[in-house]
Amino acid sequence: MTLIKTPTLETDRLILRGPKASDAEAFMAFYATERSQFTGGPMTPRQAWNFFGTEIGHWAIHGFGMFIVTRKGSDAPLGIVGHWYPWGWPEKEVGWVLFEAASEGQGIAFEAAKACVDHAWRVLKWPTIVSYIAHGNDASVALAKRLGALLDEEAVQPKPETPGYVYRHPRPEGLA
Amino acid sequence: MSMQIPTLETRRLVLRGPEPEDYPDFKATFTSYRARFMGGPLNAYEAWMLYAAEIGHWQIRGYGMWMIHDKASGDTFGMAGGWKPAKWPEAEIAWVIWPDRGGKGYALEATHAVRGYLYDQLGWETAVSYIDPKNLDSIRLAERLGAAKDHDAATIDGNDAVYRHPAPAEIMGSQLAHGIEMEISHYADPLFKPKGWAID
Repeated sequence: MTLIKTPTLETDRLILRGPKASDAEAFMAFYATERSQFTGGPMTPRQAWNFFGTEIGHWAIHGFGMFIVTRKGSDAPLGIVGHWYPWGWPEKEVGWVLFEAASEGQGIAFEAAKACVDHAWRVLKWPTIVSYIAHGNDASVALAKRLGALLDEEAVQPKPETPGYVYRHPRPEGLA
Repeated sequence: MSMQIPTLETRRLVLRGPEPEDYPDFKATFTSYRARFMGGPLNAYEAWMLYAAEIGHWQIRGYGMWMIHDKASGDTFGMAGGWKPAKWPEAEIAWVIWPDRGGKGYALEATHAVRGYLYDQLGWETAVSYIDPKNLDSIRLAERLGAAKDHDAATIDGNDAVYRHPAPAEIMGSQLAHGIEMEISHYADPLFKPKGWAID
């Protein structure tokens, strides 16, 4: 078996590339902090390492997955943004995480998420796109709105026992 | 990212990287009581996350768990391979056989091949298996593979016993290796009756 090649997405300031072994430390560091409370954390290093493996395996299983966000000119991992569809998810999702607070407030997550939403429409040809956001995650709600997504109160919840917001991204006009 | 997972062939088995279509068999075992010594039983979401992590392990470590297939039918029987998630004291040789596929020597045959690959191709100089002390089937298999309890080795969390495998030089051409081959031969061809057991 070959673990499939991941594409690279380029934006004005960023390169989005597939996750690799050297990104595990930053991923684990994020999941050790309270910053991860809205995306399944905090968790132990062992859990986080397995979860990082899951991020890679997701690519092999689906042919799409989450990208590591880097700035042009540096390979340092700033966050993980992209396409996410684990078992039991009612719909395919575009999700985003910035590992450190220091990376916030510069439009990095917006720029990366926008590229991934665009990729989902034009390359992956998804018929619809949602983002699942935990209650209380105000920063992500703001980002979803900035991306033009709208709260869909009728949508099926991925984890009905802990319901959150489902934001649905508007289909671009003129998309074939 | 891209890597090739090697395919290993044994007398009755083909070991390949885990593929998406093999997931239902993995899920059936890991959501069952069979998984009680492997961190389970898991719910369906956890099982999928772990399966994806098994694939990711290959990319991160360069080795991982192979899916064990029947050479004749292509059916899956379980998994065996090298395993070293975060905070594991040492690299482990691990195995799991689906509950309805036990008792045929598949774990022995697959794990023997996997250990040979990890030693000969990847240059491992030692290996352990972390086993729940209540998992008598796995302890028995570790012993048939020539592994012995290592009382001095670090455990994962104190709830597991560490079985250390014989070093590469202790296996190559040894009576142990012949005994394993003979046992596999017996499973593969029940009419083949070795005179006594080399290991028992």
